[in-house]
Amino acid sequence: MKAAIGEWLATSRQKLQADTLTIDDLDRLADLVEEHSCQMILYLYSKSTNMRSPLASWMLYDATQPQEPQLPSQEVPYASVLAAVADGWRIVQFPNAKLFAYQGVDNDYLGFEFILEKMV
Amino acid sequence: MAQIKPTLDDDGVMDFVASGYVLLEGVIDESFNRRCDKLDRGAVNAFVGSDDFTHAVLLHPQVAGVARSLLGEDFLVPAGGHHHLFEAPHLGQTWHSDGLSGSGFDVTELQCYYYPHAVEIEDGPTMILPGSHCRAVDREAIAHYGDILGQLSLTVAAGTVAMTRYGIWHKAGPKTNDRRRAMIKFSYHRQAEPRRDWRIDTVEIPEYVDRPRFAYVTEVESYRDRVRRMCTWNWLCGQDTEMALRWETSRPVSELGG
Repeated sequence: MKAAIGEWLATSRQKLQADTLTIDDLDRLADLVEEHSCQMILYLYSKSTNMRSPLASWMLYDATQPQEPQLPSQEVPYASVLAAVADGWRIVQFPNAKLFAYQGVDNDYLGFEFILEKMV
Repeated sequence: MAQIKPTLDDDGVMDFVASGYVLLEGVIDESFNRRCDKLDRGAVNAFVGSDDFTHAVLLHPQVAGVARSLLGEDFLVPAGGHHHLFEAPHLGQTWHSDGLSGSGFDVTELQCYYYPHAVEIEDGPTMILPGSHCRAVDREAIAHYGDILGQLSLTVAAGTVAMTRYGIWHKAGPKTNDRRRAMIKFSYHRQAEPRRDWRIDTVEIPEYVDRPRFAYVTEVESYRDRVRRMCTWNWLCGQDTEMALRWETSRPVSELGG
């Protein structure tokens, strides 16, 4: 959607200079703004609450793509949570330190869970 | 009565304590593997409980030898099992553990996966997470996990048997072809009190020698793993699992001369 609006702006600047911008162009902009956008979700399991820490695990849920089997991978999608943020992902959930009880010798869930989103 | 000899030594048992699995590649005879070709999916109790399966698989010297090493004398041999059969492509199962998995230092059940056919990565191999066998989790609450550093896809030769501590995280991996992928799952159980009666060279019980940390494990988890592994080793050796962490090479100040 962002790319389509950018394209509309470029075209409309030219039309404005040529004095050919019309109500139809504005209606088209309204349609673009209202167009459905889709949320992609990325779970990243960091080895600490520090966003620069390396990752232990990851999972991308991409509703824009067909849900088809993909072979397993050992290639991390990003070096860290911060690297994902630099690539346009927005964090929607930070790990809550209060959930990580420090007692005994038992381990349970993996790493520190960051949930990120990107609108496409 | 079947005479089963243990096959693991101290080193092998210590490896299992850390990883939670033993992999026996291609040990089952090919002629028996082919007898599984027409098996239906689902419960296969009669087949697994049959004399032929018992002798070819369950009492195979290498398979039963691991069971004897880790479960002690007169362990219980399974009388039933389940045939996990996949043919069409699928996304893969979600990560899960079976039953009530989790913490504790005991080794009382070995859950085994037998593969009558070779398994390639496109066939949707079973995936396990080494070292996850003592993580106390709700199995439904790990279903959103995807790839995990250190996960292991069991791409194996026909006739392979994987033997795991009950509770290890596993799943059927994503399958991208139509080839038949079969696995028969069954479990051995312990009856005997634990003691160090696997293959040993010396009577003296050695200290546990820690194994490297798995790639997904955080710093604090690696400390916990180390302590838990020592306790599990002590449990298997029939020793006290109550232990205090100490610096083995340090001395009390009162023992030092002025």
